[in-house]
Amino acid sequence: MTHEMTRVMTAPISFEHVSVWYGDVVAVNDITCHVDAGITGLLGPNGAGKTTLLQLAAGLLPPSSGRVQLFGESPVARPEIFRHVALVPEREALPGMLTPREFVEARATLLGLRDVRGAARAALEQVELDTVATRRIDGFSKGMRQRTKLAAALVHGPRVVLLDEPFNGLDPRQRLHMMRLLEARAAAGTAVLLSSHILEEIEEVAAQILVVLAGRLAASGDYRALRRLMSDRPHTVFVRASAPRQLAAALMQSDTVLGVEIDEAGIRIRTTDFSALSRMLVRAAHHGGITLHEVQPTDESLEHVFAYLVER
Amino acid sequence: MTVPPTSHMTAASPPASGPISYAATARVLMRLAWARTFTPMVLLGCIGLALLPMVFALVFAARGSLSGDPVEFLVMRYDQLVAGLATPLIALLVGTSAFSAESDDGTLVYLVTTTTPRWWIVASRVTFASLLTGCVSALAVWGTGAIAANGSDPEHVTSAFTLAVFFGGATYAALFTLLALVTRRALVTGLVYVLFWEATLSSTFPALHYLSVRYWMLSVAARFTDASGATLDDGPSLGFSVAASIVLLLATVVIGGRRLDRPRVTRLGT
Repeated sequence: MTHEMTRVMTAPISFEHVSVWYGDVVAVNDITCHVDAGITGLLGPNGAGKTTLLQLAAGLLPPSSGRVQLFGESPVARPEIFRHVALVPEREALPGMLTPREFVEARATLLGLRDVRGAARAALEQVELDTVATRRIDGFSKGMRQRTKLAAALVHGPRVVLLDEPFNGLDPRQRLHMMRLLEARAAAGTAVLLSSHILEEIEEVAAQILVVLAGRLAASGDYRALRRLMSDRPHTVFVRASAPRQLAAALMQSDTVLGVEIDEAGIRIRTTDFSALSRMLVRAAHHGGITLHEVQPTDESLEHVFAYLVER
Repeated sequence: MTVPPTSHMTAASPPASGPISYAATARVLMRLAWARTFTPMVLLGCIGLALLPMVFALVFAARGSLSGDPVEFLVMRYDQLVAGLATPLIALLVGTSAFSAESDDGTLVYLVTTTTPRWWIVASRVTFASLLTGCVSALAVWGTGAIAANGSDPEHVTSAFTLAVFFGGATYAALFTLLALVTRRALVTGLVYVLFWEATLSSTFPALHYLSVRYWMLSVAARFTDASGATLDDGPSLGFSVAASIVLLLATVVIGGRRLDRPRVTRLGT
């Protein structure tokens, strides 16, 4: 059995040459990727195909071609997968005449949980809705509705959580709380696939990303590693050292260094090859007896990577 | 599905789960259907449709002996106003409301992303719509009978139609629940069916009685009343009607369940 086959059978979610089309419109175009335990950000502009990918992963939409698998099996037309899977849709509509407790208990019953009340209480406590658990949902703010949806999704402790724009409507404190909650679940081995078009949100929780542009997978992996692969775009690295001028002079000898700026804070180096610069820095510091206090890439943000992929 | 175990270092074990309880899930599904169905418009519609034959009965009773034979009056009104109008329209309102609303606002996702078998979701919804249609239609039948026949049940016409509306309510509820799952315009399609197919075509062409839920319903009433007349005698046999109704109910559960494998939600996103 090849490594790739083993990966497909064991990965929480795998897409293999998956395409979806509606008539003449191609929503998802030949996507192959895997989502492992941990948090993976699903990035793309509106209409890129993020929601379609989440629907495919939940088995609510069969692929037009290719194969989607959850833990090695197709999720299509198999309600039993929801023992391990939860989907949090983007739309905030909920049965407004119910209270969050009634709604989460309804979900717990439909999921076959033994202790419906206990599970619902724990889920509502997790999202800090326990104090308003008996109020009707139709009077809830957008943020409270988001938390109700999350409680309904997490009530059975799923191993795969699919979230479509989950931070919409949350205030900064609630957003931070939800991020910590998802991080805790990810640390416990849950695969969290999280779509958003707000890069800062993804950057804060997910190192692994899937970037979807016009239905195609534009990039996948650790976004910092992706940045380093962008060899046609110079990197800027900030360095604080004991002898900045001496270090700058040594670095300027290299063809890969495009420019060096020195100010009171330190040195800003523009380079075409981050790895070569890293090696050179160590060598220059060693030969010159210079102490390096800080080496920090300054343009490794997700926004930078995303902008590059979109422009390409 | 082989799912690796959760790390117990960082999170509590998932809550214990097992096979669903059919009774508990049916209660939840009916509760959700009740919550989604009873908008003021649906409530007013059901009350209006139930009261309509009673208004006719009040006029009939007010005219006393000038009104004629109460059995003839009841058979005609039960046929035209209950079997032909109230029962199908109440079934249309309660059969389509929940699934249509849930499809339109996306909350159907919360039902289909559970381990409850999808055929059971449909079966529970059909049961809910059947019981509600049957009960409201039966109230219309009882009320009309009590007013027009002064509390008696001549020739068992009221009790026969009570049975018939429960039978017809279940059949119509299945038909319209299926409609809500297969079309985005269930209410309009259902109205066309009731007003064009049932009220016009099948009443005009006797061959179409075999494809009319209204005539299946009348065949049940005909079996249990001593009254007779063209309305009661022209339909298909009771055996055919019951068999056709069972086929329709099973088709709804099977086809509806499969439709929920690919739920028609307007959009999961905004």
